Amino acid sequence: MNNNNKLMGFLVRNRIAGVFAILVAVVVIGTLYSHDNNFIRIANLKNLGTFGPEFGIVAIGVGLLMIAGEFDLSVGSVLAFCSLVFTWTNELSINPFIGLLITLAAGVMTGLINGVITVKGKIVSFITTLGAMMFWRGLTLMLSRGEMQAIHLDSYPLFTHLFTGEWFGFLPAQAVWFLLLVIILTLVLHSQRFGNWIFSTGDNALAARAMAINTDMVKTTTFIIVGVLTAFAAVLQTIRLSAFSSRVGSGWELSAIAAAVVGGTALRGGIGNMIGIFLGALIIIVIENALVLARLPYEWTFMVFGVVILFSLLLDLFIEKRVQRASAI
Amino acid sequence: MSMNSGNSDVLLRLEGIHKWFGKVHALQGVDFEVKKGEVVGLVGDNGAGKSTLIKVISGYHRANEGKIFWEDNEVKISSPKDSRALGVETLYQEQALAPHLSIARNVFMGREPSSRLGFMDKKTMNTESMEALASIGLHLRSPDVMVSTLSGGERQGVAIARAIHFEAKLVILDEPTIALSVKEVQEVLDFVRELKGKGISVIFIAHNLYHVYSVADRIVVIAHGQELVNMQTKDTSVDYISKIIVRGTLGEEI
Repeated sequence: MNNNNKLMGFLVRNRIAGVFAILVAVVVIGTLYSHDNNFIRIANLKNLGTFGPEFGIVAIGVGLLMIAGEFDLSVGSVLAFCSLVFTWTNELSINPFIGLLITLAAGVMTGLINGVITVKGKIVSFITTLGAMMFWRGLTLMLSRGEMQAIHLDSYPLFTHLFTGEWFGFLPAQAVWFLLLVIILTLVLHSQRFGNWIFSTGDNALAARAMAINTDMVKTTTFIIVGVLTAFAAVLQTIRLSAFSSRVGSGWELSAIAAAVVGGTALRGGIGNMIGIFLGALIIIVIENALVLARLPYEWTFMVFGVVILFSLLLDLFIEKRVQRASAI
Repeated sequence: MSMNSGNSDVLLRLEGIHKWFGKVHALQGVDFEVKKGEVVGLVGDNGAGKSTLIKVISGYHRANEGKIFWEDNEVKISSPKDSRALGVETLYQEQALAPHLSIARNVFMGREPSSRLGFMDKKTMNTESMEALASIGLHLRSPDVMVSTLSGGERQGVAIARAIHFEAKLVILDEPTIALSVKEVQEVLDFVRELKGKGISVIFIAHNLYHVYSVADRIVVIAHGQELVNMQTKDTSVDYISKIIVRGTLGEEI
């Protein structure tokens, strides 16, 4: 039994190490295949640090929800919708800080809707959020008539600096926000009792309910977290682009799931690690960027994602097999 | 088959419990009691009403008629919360533990000791979960072990230790020995003896009469929603009980 515990702990820690190894591998490959090793240069890394976190913030929310046993396919569309909401507040000359709060509230609303329909309607979240994905995208297209809209934040330098500026002369604000949110979610998931409720709900909802955990509330709250994070990412992105585009977020829902899976999250729920999801998100970000720098067609992205996902699922299987053998000793 | 009423060593008493599911009369005026520190074996064939009776006690179903007394006070059990508040812990097979969570996280599931901000006191969780296991004779190395790596018997032990730790007065075990190896069955039966040793009452449901016999003080047979037999284990035999269960009614050989 003692050997088993040590091996288990070792392998769990190694799963994170395994994800980190994949990240390093992808960075190295990306560097070698980029013209003049551009990938690893400061300019590119800074660039990654500005737009990468937008996806990363969405991905950590999606991963958290997967641990609770649910999926959210609507994040890409909610991103677009929230971007439109923020753009409107800007058009109406509302103070952008207030605009941010209004947009976050919109994110809460989308998450609440997803959560309530899933738990009360007892509809599989995959289906609920598939519908939501189409609804919010459709609504956004309809309300914006598919047109891009510019935003103007010149009179709010503090706002733009706080969210998209460079801190201490070199650190992109978005990267700081991303890291801050990763730290918060890591604490919530692994050190707070709500996190234990998330794990319990995802691993064995019957047991969780038998222990008086309100699994409906846990799931709905987690959907809301996804909504808020997506809204925040939408604001960051809209400020950076200085515009609303109805096509943003396209494909993000699948990439976010990929990030979570590569980071060690089980598709059936109950298993996952926030640091792993964070690293998984970095891997996705790096892959996309590396493909651009290697001047490869965008279509290659999905193929490469596929390879990386399969590899990490095989890694998971390998670890599980090792554990089984250990307990037979 | 008499009942002692107004007796201070009776923990739980059900009087005249009826339960209908539509037209199905699942419980037909059942009287049932459990004394403090007593192990009651509840047996009967499938569909007899054992599960329904247990669900009434644990609050999943509300009785249509009848009274429930806890420590001689009449109570209403309308939900699992009510039942748990009285000190009843029910352990169903599939509901007990989260396989990929550690022992500590499982033992404290839903009742994690936390600071006001919600941060779990992991140190307490670790030490107390190990203590709870040790108190029923289960000595495992670490509270961080995933429970799926434990044997079936050990897993039952964790679930039982959890019930004790939260000061259950009555533990209901629904088929705790199913699918367990011979050694694991003995482990579970030992845990039941430990429970009894601590003065905790147990309702033990099983199809395997030999398992029930080795730990129960009293045997109750339920058939067609009625109590057929209520005898001290020492006054009856596996043979007699199984005949009654198969027949579904009392025969000539009382």
